[in-house]
Order: sequence, then structure tokens, then C-alpha cells
Amino acid sequence: CLWSYSNDSNSIKVFVRVRPLTQGTGLTTDGDNNLCLKVTSPNTIRLLSKPEPRTFTYDHVADMDTSQDAVFSSVAKNIVESCMNGYNGTIFAYGQTGSGKTFTMLGPSELDNFTHELRGVIPRSFEYLFFLINREADRSKSFLCKCSFIEIYNEQIYDLLDTASASLFVRENIKKGVFVEGAVEKFVNSAAEAYQVLSMGWRNRRVASTSMNRESSRSHAVFSMSLESKESVNEVVNIRTSQLNLVDLAGSERQKDTHTEGSRLKEASSINRSLMCLGQVIMALVDVSNGKNRHICYRDSKLTFLLRDSLGGNAKTYIIANVHPGSRCFGETLSTLHFAQRAKLIKNKAVINEDTHGNVK
Amino acid sequence: MASLSNSGWRDVCDKFKNAQTLSCEESLKDPVNDPYRSKYKARELIREIHYGQRDELFTDGLCGESPPGMLTAKLAAVEFYLGVNHAETEELSAGHEHLMNCVMLLERCRVSSENVSLSIHVRNELGIMWTRRDEAEKALQFLETAEFIYQRYMKEDGSPPMDKIEYFTTEEKLLTDQERTEKFEFIYTYTKYYLAQVYKIVGETERAATYCHNTLQRLLPLKQFNRMEWALNAATLSQYYISKGQFMEGRHCLSAASVILGLAEVPSEAAAQETSEQREKNRMQSAHISRCWIKYCLNLLEDAKKLLEDNTGELDTDRQDELKRERTLGEEEEVKSRKSALLFGSEDTFDSIASLEEKVPCLFPLDFSEARAVFLVGQNHVKEAKEYFQMEGHVTDHVEILQDHSALFRTLAFFEEDLEARCKMHKRRIDMMEPVCNELNAQYYLMIRRQLMFELAEIYNEMMDLKMIRANTQADTQSLDKHSIKKINHLCSSAVKYFHMFLDSLRSPDGKFPEKMEEDVLRPALVARFRMARLYSKLICSLPSAQLENLNKALDNYTCITQYCEEHPEAAAAVETELELSKEMVELLPFKINRLKVAMVANN
Repeated sequence: CLWSYSNDSNSIKVFVRVRPLTQGTGLTTDGDNNLCLKVTSPNTIRLLSKPEPRTFTYDHVADMDTSQDAVFSSVAKNIVESCMNGYNGTIFAYGQTGSGKTFTMLGPSELDNFTHELRGVIPRSFEYLFFLINREADRSKSFLCKCSFIEIYNEQIYDLLDTASASLFVRENIKKGVFVEGAVEKFVNSAAEAYQVLSMGWRNRRVASTSMNRESSRSHAVFSMSLESKESVNEVVNIRTSQLNLVDLAGSERQKDTHTEGSRLKEASSINRSLMCLGQVIMALVDVSNGKNRHICYRDSKLTFLLRDSLGGNAKTYIIANVHPGSRCFGETLSTLHFAQRAKLIKNKAVINEDTHGNVK
Repeated sequence: MASLSNSGWRDVCDKFKNAQTLSCEESLKDPVNDPYRSKYKARELIREIHYGQRDELFTDGLCGESPPGMLTAKLAAVEFYLGVNHAETEELSAGHEHLMNCVMLLERCRVSSENVSLSIHVRNELGIMWTRRDEAEKALQFLETAEFIYQRYMKEDGSPPMDKIEYFTTEEKLLTDQERTEKFEFIYTYTKYYLAQVYKIVGETERAATYCHNTLQRLLPLKQFNRMEWALNAATLSQYYISKGQFMEGRHCLSAASVILGLAEVPSEAAAQETSEQREKNRMQSAHISRCWIKYCLNLLEDAKKLLEDNTGELDTDRQDELKRERTLGEEEEVKSRKSALLFGSEDTFDSIASLEEKVPCLFPLDFSEARAVFLVGQNHVKEAKEYFQMEGHVTDHVEILQDHSALFRTLAFFEEDLEARCKMHKRRIDMMEPVCNELNAQYYLMIRRQLMFELAEIYNEMMDLKMIRANTQADTQSLDKHSIKKINHLCSSAVKYFHMFLDSLRSPDGKFPEKMEEDVLRPALVARFRMARLYSKLICSLPSAQLENLNKALDNYTCITQYCEEHPEAAAAVETELELSKEMVELLPFKINRLKVAMVANN
């Protein structure tokens, strides 16, 4: 028959990681060793909420003792392999400030030493990608790898590889898809080179946060590698491109600024701001009417627009939700776990319009 | 006021002014680790005023202009400020208590010009407070009362009332009547705006929409809003109305949006770069509003089509006559009466909005010429929108506009009785979409391409049907001329080609079909199979062997559907009719195939 077997769900996967309880993160008070959660199996976590504890289920839950290598193996290994085969892949890190996002993605803060056994998902991804490239490259097959590194702050886009540039625009091209116009692209030939580009951008991000008042906990950083492979088979040249995005999202406790929490009223402190909010109210009303052809004038956020490919369709996406086990963080942890559950449902869908009429003759 | 010495009163006024400054301006600069420092300082100052006032109050507080009445109002004002301050510093229950004290003090007096504004204000605040506690019903009570108080005051008195900042203001700083009126109208606008939100929370969408509408309407004469935002909000509201089938309201919102956006001036004193940015933004918003107009026209045509079509999707002329008769009988009247209920506009925009409205129909078009009038408005906005959302730079938006344009043609074709002309319209759709579909990067625009491929397949399918009908009316198929056969077969194979492309887009990179299809592609994929099966059996072949091959392909596709639904019973619901017919065809086709085989052997 024309339907054959293949089992490859493209939905977004979620990996929850619990950081160890250490002092000095500002999230625990000395001597406060009360935990608000418990990892009950490799894919469930129990939150000790009142009156009833709640259990959440994810694709994977990693407890405090999980090694960096184990995180890489479950989250990124498969995505990097898919990139070699022409899929786009994205890894998001989400969680409150201090929950271990940067540690998970990069590793300990002494950035220049990337052979450290505690190095994070990103350096390991570089290594693995170039390991695969070197294994596959030969006379008939060649690879080209480019990196860019941008930051989204307050709905403005900044190039972390070119600090002199003003804010940039997201644009689309019929062949290239979505791209940031004018963003610097650096060619890299090895994991070490890729890592150098990353470190430079990361340093610039820190500089920007002090000198330009761009608080990094409020910004999203997006590191993208585009991979092009060229294969000549009997005079026919096959070119495949794919993109790997590594995203450090703004601290989840900052999301409150942008999300409407619960059902709080928007207060009309100034009439202009209130008009913005009125727009949100109306939008929610329009959204209720399902299945009707309508146009919403308000744009997606820059981040979702830029990563549209990652949200459904032909991409593989992993979200690493980092949580802190201390009881002081209960509220944030709960909202992170909720977010991670909602993320499972995100999917870009293509609504196919049929010319339905009765001619099923 | 009277019993206080002048210098004493001046002190009170200074305290009050300091408290205001601390609360509104200084508090913005408070450090992160001590966020309410200024608010607490302000609270202390208000408390001091409070004690002073309480000592003054030695009567029950009568009404009107008498000093004791005024004192009550002042006391209420202090309670109000304390309430808001506590609410702002996360002490909700203390805040609630103060706000309720304010309500109680004011209750003793009828709604008078000294305290009507405060009465509404305090209820706005209580509305905010109760929604913060997730008690929308309680919030509604307060806000609805606020609304009632305003309306009653305007009916009974209507003079410019005192504002809450005037209770502790020295004589020379009192507001003018115009300032008082403006502030009062603003406070009531907030009431409307909070009501809009709370109605949304409790799920009364229709009411919420009405209140959003009210809020926009009330902002218009106040001239203190961002026009671009206003226009965008009105345009968004139009989308709510059209999705509810209220085209007259939708049209009104859109006309207002277009007019107001047209007024948006670029500030002349701004820097040159900023003005160009401003202009660019204006162009974008204008294109967005055009896109809302396109949806308006499209929905108006599509809803009219639904009213007029029979069960084969063709125009039902009896229904058409009936609707035309109904229309002359009084639909116009109803529209007039509804219209008076929702007019936007201030003195200087009212006429421009009305004249723009008159250029666009809002009743369902009932024949081709009426449909064409709606179509042309839509097409015009397609042109406008494309000027900003160009393919280079805005691929997704541009393609969405093309899709709408194609849909406009599709619905217009329904009203067209001449088959040849109908075919031409469909051809226009193909010319628009085909090059785009083939140009788009398959990896980055997978979703959009799926939509385009499916649509192209359906257009070819439709055109083939139209050609078939024409051919059959001219002569029977046996004696079809070569040219017609070629034409029909070309349309048929093109439809098959695009359905095939669509199905191929579901394959994984290593070329496998998913064993179980995602919900959003399940029906389209099965329908594509079904259509392909039918197309294969329609292909006109001179060679029996070719016909045999096509019939086998048709059978394969029918079998595919029945098999899939056997393996996934839950899929059957999505393709009920198609599945039933497929089952029949799986039974019948083998006989036909066998007969053909026998005939072929006999002929050889």
C-alpha cells in the first residue's frame, strides 16, 4: 500500500532538569534545605504543592546528579544528527534566573576552557557536529558551516558579533526563508572556531548589559549555525541546507512583563498604554471565533517569527526547562513546569482549505 | 476649609502634593530591593492629612456645599488614596478596607458634583482589586454601579464635577470647568475599559466587544490617544464583528480605522530619521488595515455563497429570488435602526467615515453584479496591501494576501453563470499561485506550500469539471474533438500532479509516509487520495491498456483510504462520505477492470 511504516513524531520535546541545591545562588537562604519537588521517575516530577502534590510528565526529567554528558546525549545528540540529514533543529533553554540555564547550555562561567568536563550542551554539540562532518566529508561530499549570534531585547534585534551595528530587521526571502538582515555570518571550520565565535558574542552580550542597559536576564540570545552540504553523485550535485539554533531564553521570572498573568486587569495608567492593552482584549475576542477567515494586525514576537520553522513542520525541537528545587522558588518552578507542558502543544499547523462541494461523483 | 487657618490649609495642600509626587514620580526610581520606599513615604503623608481631617469632622457630614459635607468628601478622598496606596504595595485587604470606607462615607450623600467623580473612581479601583483576587463577579458589581452613577449624574446634574485632586488644593490651583469635564470623562472611559476586560474574563464576549467599542468611541473626541493604535484596534474589532457575521458593524469599524489612520500626521519637529521610521510604520499599519478590508469582502462573499448554494455547491435560483424579495421588504430598515446604535466619530471625522462607508456594500450580494462590487473593493485592497507586503522581505504575508485574492476569485466564480468565464477566473488563480508554489523553498515554507499545492490541485480539478460539463452539453463524450480531450486530460493530470506533490510533502526525508497521520493533515491527505482516484478514472484514453493502468491506479487510491480507516477507525469520522464511496468503488472497480481485460483479449 502507499502508506508505509515510519514512526517519527515531530512534536516539541521537553527535558526538565533540576539543579542541585547549592548556596550562593541567591535563591536559597542559608540553612534552607527544604525542597519543593521530587523526581519520581525518568519522566515524572512531583511538586509538593498544597493541598495535593502534583505530578508532571515530560519526555525526560533529569535529577540533580545528572551529568552534562547525559543531558547532551538525550537532548542534542539526535538533533545534531538530524541536522546532518537536512532537518532544522532548535534547542531552547528556559527557566528562572539562577536555575542553571547557562550552566546547562554553556557550562561553568570560565568560558575560555572548553575542554572542561563540565562543558555544556553547546560546546558538546559543536564537537559532535564536526566529528560527524569529518567522518562524512570526502571528495564527493563537502560541508560549509556558518554561524551568527543575535540578541533580542525589548523586541529589538542586536548583532552580538558586531556591536557597532544598530538594531536589525527580520526579513523573509523566497529561497532563504526567515533571516536577520545584515547579521554578521562567520565561517567556521572546527569546533574550536565555532566556540570562539560563541565566546566572543557571549562577552559582547555581557558588555552590552552593563554599558547599554540591556539586562541579559531580559533578553533572548539566539546562536545559529547553518550547515550546507554538497554531494556530487554521478555528475549530479545535491545541495542540502539545515540550521541548528541554540536559544537562551530570557529568565522566566521576566516573562511576566510580556505575558498577561491570570486575569489581572490592565490598568489604564496612561491612555496610550491602555490602547495597547485594549488591543490585546480585542484580539482575545477575535480569537474566540474559530475557523473564520480573519486578519490579526499584531505581529508575532520577533523570537517566534524568527524561529517559526522550529515550531512544528519539518524541524526537531527540544526545550530544556531548568528548575531550582528550593522551596523559595516554588512559584517560579510551578510556572516553568506549566510553561513546559504548554510548549508540548505548540505546533504550527497548515490549515488546508478545501473547496468543499457536493461533487463526490 | 473654613475652620483651618489659611497657613494650616496650605500645609495640608503641600503634604498632599508631596504625596502625589512621591507616589507617581519618585516611586519609579525606587531600588529593586526596596521597591515601595516612596509609596510608604507617601502613605505616611496621607495618614497625617487623614488625622487632621478626622479632628475637623464633628458632624455626620451633611450634603451639598456646606463645610461638613465637603469634609465628608475630603475624608472619603483620603480613604481612597490610602486604599490605592495599600493596593499598590500588595496589601490588598487593608486597601480594600480603606476603599470600602470611602464608599461608605460617600453613600451618605447623594451623588453630587463634589463626590460623583470620586464615587466612580473608587469603584474602578475596587473593580481592579477584585479581579486581582480572581473574583470577576464582584468586580462587575462595582464597575456596573460606577456606570450607573455616571449615567444618573449626567441625567440629573451634568455640571463639570470636582476632581479627586481638588480636595486638597489651594483656591488658585482649582481646575477649570473644561479640565474637570475632561478628567471626569476619562474616569468614565476607564470604567468602560475595565468593564470590557471583566466581561471578557467572565466569558460575555459580545458585551466585551461592545465595551471595547465604547472605549474606542469615547477616546475619539478626547484627542489624547495614539491614532495609529486606535486605528489598529478598530480594525481588529472589525475582525470580531465579521467573524460573527455582523458586516455592518465591521464595515463601520474599518471605515473609522481607515479615516483615523489617514489623519495620522508625522510630527514635524521630530528628527528626520524618526519621521521616516514613523512613515514606514504608518505604511505598515495601513497595509494591515487593507488586509482587514480584504477579509471583510471575502467573508461577505463567502457567507452570501453559503446562503445561496444548493447541496451541489451551485447557485440555487429559487433561494436567490426569495432572498431578493425579503430584502426589498425591509432589511434596509433594520440596518438603519441598528446603525444609529454604534456610530464612531467626532465632529471632524464623522462625515469622512460615513462617506467611506457608503462606498462599500454591507448587505449580502445576491447576484453577480453585486458580488462583483464587493470583489472589486477587496481586489483594490489586495493591491494596496501588496505594496507594503512585497514578496521580497515579507514572503509569508505576501503569500497570505495572494491566497485571499485567490479566494476572492473563487467566491466570485460561484456567482458567474457562464462556465467559460468561470474557468477564466480559476485560471487567474492558477497564474497567481503556481509560480510562487514552485519558487518557494520547500524546507522553509513547507506549511505554506502544502496549502498552495492542495489549492492548485483543487483548482485544476474544478476546471476539469467545468470543461467536462461544457463538453457534455455540446456533444456526448464519444465525439469530443481532439483539442477538448487534450485540454481535459491536461487539467486532469495537473490536478493529479499537485495532489501527489501534497502527499509527497508528508513523507519523511527518507521517503516514508507516516504510519499514522497528524490530525491537521489527516483529512486533506485522504481527500487527496479520493480526488486522485476519481481523476484517474476520468482520464480519457484512446488505448485500452492505458485506461486499464489508470483504473488500477484509481483502485489503489480507493483501497488506500479504506485500508487506512480500517487500521485507524478514528479517522473514519473525518472522511465519512468519501469513505463510503471508496468502499463501493473498491467493490465495483475490479469488475470494471476485469470487463476491460476481457474486452482487450477479445479485441486482440
